[in-house]
Amino acid sequence: MELIQQAYEFLMTAAVVVLAVMIILSIIRSILGPGISDRIIAVNMIGTMVIMVTAIFSVWLNENYLVDVCLIYAMISFLGVVVLCKVYTGVYLQRKHMKADLGAIEDNLSKQGVEIREEEEVKP
Amino acid sequence: MIGEWFRFLIAAACMVLGLVFMISAVFGVNRFRHALNRMHAAALGDTLGILFVILSLIVMKGFSMDSLKLSIVILFFWIASPVSGHMISRLEAMTDERLGEISVLEKNNGIRVIMEDRDSKIQDLDEEWKKGGNGR
Repeated sequence: MELIQQAYEFLMTAAVVVLAVMIILSIIRSILGPGISDRIIAVNMIGTMVIMVTAIFSVWLNENYLVDVCLIYAMISFLGVVVLCKVYTGVYLQRKHMKADLGAIEDNLSKQGVEIREEEEVKP
Repeated sequence: MIGEWFRFLIAAACMVLGLVFMISAVFGVNRFRHALNRMHAAALGDTLGILFVILSLIVMKGFSMDSLKLSIVILFFWIASPVSGHMISRLEAMTDERLGEISVLEKNNGIRVIMEDRDSKIQDLDEEWKKGGNGR
């Protein structure tokens, strides 16, 4: 009976160590990732692996409340991803509309015959 | 006694399978070059990885209230993960203005060469960003 307990502990230790290494690799990707969506994907995967580690600890330490922590963590991770996506979509659209408004002002000025002579003045 | 070892073997097999799925997901995220391909790899870990890891914990724990809660975690993940994936893919499709330009594979002396490099595009986008344009 003691041998099987040691086998279970070895299995869980190995799983937690492997997941920790994978979390470090995901953190590296979330720092390196060129776009904002790459970073969000990496952070989402870190959340998944943290949930796995918490579930493994709940069985290993025989603590029942860690399963509830797991469930709440899943909900907050999902909420965080949704909010980040909404925020960055809003930032992108705001910047795009600002640029479109500047272009509209230039078109309007050129229709009225106003010349913008900034480029000519720059050249000596 | 043999039954206990049989249960341990089932749990170990599920745990190893889930860890293999997570390892392949992380390596896919690190090795793919486009964000949509990375999302494909990450969805593997979000569905099958967490299914097998938590299934092995349920096998260890036996049938009780905790294993029911663990299965609720799987159910919530399978509902929430496609929704977050849809949000991320919509963000990527909206912000990546060069999404339609797929990097073309062309034959050059019998060797397939990737024509357009993604990194040079990303450097161009960074320069546009510094100039104040609408890059990413």
